[in-house]
Amino acid sequence: MATVQYSRPGLWIGLFLASAGVIAALKLTEAINPTTAFLWFAISMLLLVPMIRSMKAAGPTGSSNSAAAIRYTKRIGISSALYVLGLGIAITLDRNRGLSTALAFAIAMLPVLPIFGMIWSMGRYLVEERDEYLRHRAAMASLAGLGLLLGVASFWGFLETFGIVPHAEGWWAVPIWAVGMGLSQGWMSYRDRARDGA
Amino acid sequence: MNNRLKVLRAERSWSQADLAERLEVSRQSVNAIETGRYDPSLPLAFRIADVFDMAIEEIFLRD
Repeated sequence: MATVQYSRPGLWIGLFLASAGVIAALKLTEAINPTTAFLWFAISMLLLVPMIRSMKAAGPTGSSNSAAAIRYTKRIGISSALYVLGLGIAITLDRNRGLSTALAFAIAMLPVLPIFGMIWSMGRYLVEERDEYLRHRAAMASLAGLGLLLGVASFWGFLETFGIVPHAEGWWAVPIWAVGMGLSQGWMSYRDRARDGA
Repeated sequence: MNNRLKVLRAERSWSQADLAERLEVSRQSVNAIETGRYDPSLPLAFRIADVFDMAIEEIFLRD
């Protein structure tokens, strides 16, 4: 059956997740400084461009790339790029200058507004997706991301309380949720392909 | 929930993609329903019944 139709977007998604994982590992082990990590992550965001193009090329018929899914990916791609950009600017400004409370609040909005964009994109997808199975998959993936976030945050919180790990900033919540969602979607796609034509 | 989708499809020489096109859903949806991993909503079950010109209970069976 037509499994090739969604294998290329999967390749780009896999490359993006792998690069994000490597960058996060290098940052957490302090092998690279925060600025370098930010730059590499910003560059890795470029992988989202061929991913969206390959999804459009595959087309909506017979694949998981419905029109709503393509719109969702485009919105998430733009929001993610703005998030990384806003996060980088906010952290850089915070580290290099003494900010007043009002200015710090305003700068904090730079990465937060794109996060609202991601949440809105997810909501719109659930509203716009006409294929109920794909909608079901998206809801399950979102719950899986939430589960991963709750698990990691709770575990990390206790480790932090006991002084085993350093403090983690709250903004890690969205990347962890997104990774959980991506892994879940990847697993469900793999399962679908494994049973393809069964 | 068990179903006879695969048999009914085979009787008509339809591929999963053919059925998906008739139902206006993705092929993954047909595959998930056919393999019992996803139970369709009542509106989709009615659409499936219409496509095969059968009653719902002739397609979907109790466990």
